[in-house]
Amino acid sequence: MPSVIRSASPRHTGITKFTNCRLVRGDELVWDDVWVSSATGKILRSQSAFYDELIMPDEVVDLGGRIVSPGFIECQLNGAYGFNFSTIADDMAQYGKQLRDLNRKLAQTGVTSYVPTVTSQTSELYKRVLPYLGPSGASRCAQEGAESLGAHVEGPFLNPARNGVHNPSALRVASSLSDLEDMYGATNITPSPSSFHRQKPSQEESEGEDDESSLPSPDQQHGNNDTIPIKMITVAPELGSMTSLIPALVSRGVIVSIGHSEATYEQASAAVAAGATMITHLFNAMRPLHHRDPGIFGVLGAPDRSSDYSTSPAHESPSPSRPAGPRPYFGLIADGIHLHPATVKIAWHAHPAGLVLVTDAMHMVGLPDGRYPWTNGEGEHFIVKRGNVLELEGTGGVIAGSSITLVDCVSNFLNYTGATIPEALRAVTATPAAMLGVQRVKGCLDAGADADLVVLSERSEDGGKRELVVDEVWKFGIKIFERGSDKIV
Amino acid sequence: MRFIIRDNAEAASAHVANYIVDRINHFAPTPAHPFVLGLPTGSSPLGVYKSLVEKYKAGEVSFENVVTFNMDEYIGIPRDHPESYHSFMWKHFFSHVNIHPSNVHILDGNAPNLEAECVQYEAKIQAAGGIDLFLAGMGEDGHIAFNEPGSSLASRTRVKTLAYGTILANSRFFNDDLHKVPKMALTVGVQTVLEAREVVVLAIGARKAIALQRCIEQGVNHMWTLSAVQLHPHSMIVCDEDATLELQVKTVRYFKDIEKAAQAQGFEHILPSKVRTGPATVPTTIVTDEFPASTIHCPQPTTSRLLRATPATEYPVRSRSPSPDLSAPRLQHHLRPDNSVETEYTDGTAAEYTTAAVFSSRSTTPDLIPDRMASRIGDPSLLVRSTPNPERQRSRSPALASSMPMVNGIKA
Repeated sequence: MPSVIRSASPRHTGITKFTNCRLVRGDELVWDDVWVSSATGKILRSQSAFYDELIMPDEVVDLGGRIVSPGFIECQLNGAYGFNFSTIADDMAQYGKQLRDLNRKLAQTGVTSYVPTVTSQTSELYKRVLPYLGPSGASRCAQEGAESLGAHVEGPFLNPARNGVHNPSALRVASSLSDLEDMYGATNITPSPSSFHRQKPSQEESEGEDDESSLPSPDQQHGNNDTIPIKMITVAPELGSMTSLIPALVSRGVIVSIGHSEATYEQASAAVAAGATMITHLFNAMRPLHHRDPGIFGVLGAPDRSSDYSTSPAHESPSPSRPAGPRPYFGLIADGIHLHPATVKIAWHAHPAGLVLVTDAMHMVGLPDGRYPWTNGEGEHFIVKRGNVLELEGTGGVIAGSSITLVDCVSNFLNYTGATIPEALRAVTATPAAMLGVQRVKGCLDAGADADLVVLSERSEDGGKRELVVDEVWKFGIKIFERGSDKIV
Repeated sequence: MRFIIRDNAEAASAHVANYIVDRINHFAPTPAHPFVLGLPTGSSPLGVYKSLVEKYKAGEVSFENVVTFNMDEYIGIPRDHPESYHSFMWKHFFSHVNIHPSNVHILDGNAPNLEAECVQYEAKIQAAGGIDLFLAGMGEDGHIAFNEPGSSLASRTRVKTLAYGTILANSRFFNDDLHKVPKMALTVGVQTVLEAREVVVLAIGARKAIALQRCIEQGVNHMWTLSAVQLHPHSMIVCDEDATLELQVKTVRYFKDIEKAAQAQGFEHILPSKVRTGPATVPTTIVTDEFPASTIHCPQPTTSRLLRATPATEYPVRSRSPSPDLSAPRLQHHLRPDNSVETEYTDGTAAEYTTAAVFSSRSTTPDLIPDRMASRIGDPSLLVRSTPNPERQRSRSPALASSMPMVNGIKA
């Protein structure tokens, strides 16, 4: 691929201009240029930069018609490259080192930000590992690779009937908020009193304005000391008094996701009304759709009070009395194993704007095939990796997560559904960003957003099979990966 | 005037783009000796910009040492409004080529003092050494830039109210809401365009046919302001077949024939070498009180005396608006290294200010005349008055006058 680089300005501005490329803008691929600054790590408003700052790009990158997508956002990742987030090392400094290593490698797959997921574990493990998994983008250092947007605790307040490979003996029932604080550690789920009270009035003030203004500012999102490590929590809302705890979690800025649950349609609807905005790996670890009791999936068929997320009235504060809000987002594992392709297509058509593609990948992703030791906290198990399939040994084929990369999920999705490329990329960029409340800074190519970019090539085989390949990855305006060159710039 | 007819819009645009590229490359601009290009906005030049961008990307031309001046800009919409001419130029041209932002000049429709902005703009054009090639489109009513029918053919850069027809036509870019369409604009004057060393006009489509006929076959007329290019020594109008609909067959054939004949002889219209390569050095403009500065350096204008430039400095004196040098720092930024022109310009304005101040003080305060009633009072010292006529004082009582050396700053 041609990559013409020429110096256009004698002044060093740290600005790169991508030209001759197709940008993912909404549901379209648009031929346009995009300017990024390595100094601010953001996408520039190029016209203002030109007329106001009188600056020109240091280098112009001709992408030869390739696709520029916002960096991918992975919402469910259990580990990778042999490192499992749900483990305690004897020396926790080792944990931090392995995590940094993972971040750098993960970024090469196009995932520039992600939500590290911890499965159902003991309280001790949560308290030890969560401080490491909180938002890590504050340093804005491109060389650190993928950035955590906060941790996802998938458990332990789950239904034992839908435990998947989670250890049933680790599962708990919560009756009050203190149960959660005891489990995860109060500092991991409750902001320190000073910051909590400081944030509170500002949220109330902004009510009544458009709902975008009530979003946390990028500073708040990017892990200053006030933010808590937990960004997202998967719960079974039908257990204990979990549904009534949802508003308190939402007010802490935690995304509540329904999953590993036996919830009926009514219970799931009540959870959504209480503020749950996400469904963890839809179809997996929940009741199947029954035509008279549609279960959790049925929530996607609920009539939308407001047709669009962005137009939802801001005066609706997250309280139990709130009428049913917009339909929740939902994660789908499009690895070809967890779900039948037709199921993926049905779910997408049910609620296109809510679809978030996730991998649910285990730490075996990126490793060769083989038999790997694994523990869910109880005894020693082995997971057999064969290609992208992970099975728990001795269970006769229980799927133990996946080992697929997110870009392959996107390619699968393209082939399963016949979606256009921007529609498919939206499920790993704009939609997860909106789900996590970071749509201003992540998952888009608008001016002011973080300059996390993925350059993609499009391949199609004779059979009409389409595939996207990650050619380059840029983080905060700096190239950190180029396919075919081993060194990370 | 050269008049080039091409079969369709694409060919006409391509001809103009080729012509500009040839001119720039022949000019061989350098940082000290840039090519100065005047640029239009609107639908006609879109094809030209597209073509220029393609040629830039193909490596046929570089805009590194090209200085541009745009014709016009709306007043009262944000600079980055999608319909502003800043946005138009960015979207269709500047963002795709290697032009340096400090070489780009577009009138600022949000300037605090619009008159001063216009005066500065003319000064910037002068400072850049005048415009080498002014590309222009043509309105359906024959307007050039925003110089709508009835504009003075001697006009300069100024604030212009838009005609209702223009507002109506432009409303399609503003959700068909007439209230959103700016009602005013800043525009270069007809004279500003005529002072360029070369003017190239592009007229495309049947809608322009009547205007083209008026501008080519009829006389110079302020109701069809573009007709003023008839007075320009080096002008070229390029159009497609559709735009010739209202012309006489004779006219069309004549211009086609001479183009064909010239090509057969291998003789392309060639500008005088001085025009082709521009002045070797940036000339110094001398602003005097007596006569408006001539901004045409070469060749000397052949326009009539009546069409001579209106002095660009008339605005501050007449309206007593703040001196343009208030925003001098920004202006300096855009100037060539030697800002001698700017300095002289500012001085000249200052001098005129002083003159105006003296005049106004005289006219408001009547001359002091001796109070005749004072002669009835015995005390002779009362005869001495503050008066601007010391001679008379002296003749009446010389002894007293000599004892008062200074009266009102005038030595007795």
